[in-house]
Amino acid sequence: MRVVIAEDNAILRDGLAGLLVDRGHDVPAAVADGDALRDAVAFHLPDVCVVDIRMPPSYTDEGLRAAIALRRTHPEVGVLVFSQYVETRYAAELLAGSVKGVGYLLKDRVADVREFVDALVRVAGGGTALDPEVVAQLLGASRQTDRLAALTPREREVLERMAEGLSNAGIAAALVISDRAVEKHIANVFTKLDLPQSETDNRRVLAVLRYLQS
Amino acid sequence: MTVWQADPTMTTESWVDRLPRAATEPFRRRTWAHVLYALVGLPIGVAGFTLTVTTISVSAGLIVTFVGLPLMALTGLIERGFGDGLRRFANRLIDADVPPAQRFRANPGLLGWIGSCLKDGTAWRARLYLLLKLPVGIAQFVATTVFLSYGLGGLTYAIWRPFLPCQTGHDGGTCHRGASITDRYFLDTPLRIGLVFVTGLLLVMTFPWVIRAFNAVDRGLVRSLLGPTGDANRVEELERTRAAAVDDSAATLRRIERDLHDGAQARLVALAMNVGLAKEKLAEGGDPAEASRLLDTAHTTAKQAIVELRDLARGIHPPVLDAGLDAALATLAAHSSIPVSVHSGITDRPDPAIETMAYFCAAELITNAVKHSGGTRIGLDVRSASGRLRLQVTDDGNGGARMGAGSGLRGLAERIATVDGTVRIDSPDGGPTAITVELPLRAGRTA
Repeated sequence: MRVVIAEDNAILRDGLAGLLVDRGHDVPAAVADGDALRDAVAFHLPDVCVVDIRMPPSYTDEGLRAAIALRRTHPEVGVLVFSQYVETRYAAELLAGSVKGVGYLLKDRVADVREFVDALVRVAGGGTALDPEVVAQLLGASRQTDRLAALTPREREVLERMAEGLSNAGIAAALVISDRAVEKHIANVFTKLDLPQSETDNRRVLAVLRYLQS
Repeated sequence: MTVWQADPTMTTESWVDRLPRAATEPFRRRTWAHVLYALVGLPIGVAGFTLTVTTISVSAGLIVTFVGLPLMALTGLIERGFGDGLRRFANRLIDADVPPAQRFRANPGLLGWIGSCLKDGTAWRARLYLLLKLPVGIAQFVATTVFLSYGLGGLTYAIWRPFLPCQTGHDGGTCHRGASITDRYFLDTPLRIGLVFVTGLLLVMTFPWVIRAFNAVDRGLVRSLLGPTGDANRVEELERTRAAAVDDSAATLRRIERDLHDGAQARLVALAMNVGLAKEKLAEGGDPAEASRLLDTAHTTAKQAIVELRDLARGIHPPVLDAGLDAALATLAAHSSIPVSVHSGITDRPDPAIETMAYFCAAELITNAVKHSGGTRIGLDVRSASGRLRLQVTDDGNGGARMGAGSGLRGLAERIATVDGTVRIDSPDGGPTAITVELPLRAGRTA
């Protein structure tokens, strides 16, 4: 997997690059601002890029702007936005188009190296990776409270993992249950929420997110 | 490069300036501005007096109807505006240099607006000025016309006297041509004609000062009745310093957040990452030496994060301040890279807020001295006297410290202005520098 990193903090930039190289991935460029990110992506055409939201010159949301622009100009390149804060507004802007090859994670998640790299691989392969914090905020802000209340605690956990972008196997591993049990819970969730059954993971994530945002 | 702004009153006066001031005063443009001001004083006085007396008496007469109070409110605004115009006029012509009175602030609603107008001290003071302007204006006008006409008349007497008609005095017979005092004393001998000329000259020479004296009375009225009151000045100052305090605390919070985000927070993320990697290495039965290297890095990062958090916390509130300002300043001095000798004479312990402020002032001034002065010794003197805390930082460096816009000293002055603190800078080029900060011992009450 080829990864371009955009992060203005040198400690984190070097740490991330070291971590990915250690795992056998290729980091052709690690840059410190949005303009350099655009150039690096255009030049290296990586599988995925990791983008810090706050970068110079204004330290507000230029990383997010750059990420949204990249999704327009290079839809085949996955974008994982990486931030110390979770802002639902940022997530909404990022997910406004499609959820294909997009991720939004808290920087803390890098502590669980395997999960972090799995999420990055998922985004590189066109999947989705949303931080549990983002999903929790979406659930909290959702107006579908009645229907959500009808879910069992286990079904709710499965729904959250679906929204994060995990596959059936990923959900099974995360919750330490069998694939069969996951399928059963998912079927129940879709029935209770009256969602159309979708075959692919992407369509499923999109359906779940749109439902939570509606 | 310095661009000199020409004073418009100076441009035509190059030849005038070379003569003695007393001789040239009548020809200066400034004098004629005063003359114009004094002459216009009469019509303005009449107009203002008429307006004020009419509006007050009409509205007072109508006060039993619904019209009276609103009318008085409205005319108050008109007279307030009139007064403000006269203030600008005085600033322009006679250098009154009076700042504007406080802006009118209406309470919401029609009734609120009327109430605010009626209670508006500025409007009532403007009315008082307009009433007093009439006698003052008459005096200004009369003095100006008398001095000018008698002065110019006396100067030119010798020229126009021969054209006067022939008069017969009490002695009969002889023809006198000239001004007379009763029918006994005629100004027609060469000596007397000369005396008239001298008198005219004296009048013309002295009239600039006379006009200025009358205008000075007017200026005093403008200052006390059309300018801001002491309370208004204080309110304006408090509003300004409060806004600065709010801006400053917002900027401080932003700075702390940025420091946390870029410093300790980022280090903790890196720490967690390295520990996570090491954990996985060990779990996978990987190279223990590699895991140990990762833990080493993590350990270093953790220690750096601790130092950064400690510095940040000390920047918010130095714990040593709780032991007293002198203890905190001694610690501060010990950390300086240029030796600082501390003299402390605090007999009356200030409020905690003042202590914190004094501490950060001292820290900033010492940092400035270390960074910019080029000196080798710094002195820090702090003492309390008569309700004030006086903090002085001296250095033997190159001097030249200035309170420039956007400079650290300007920021410091703005911060301590919130408690009525002051900064005095004594820093001639070539040094030495002494910067003195004075703060009240008690925040919230002014000494």
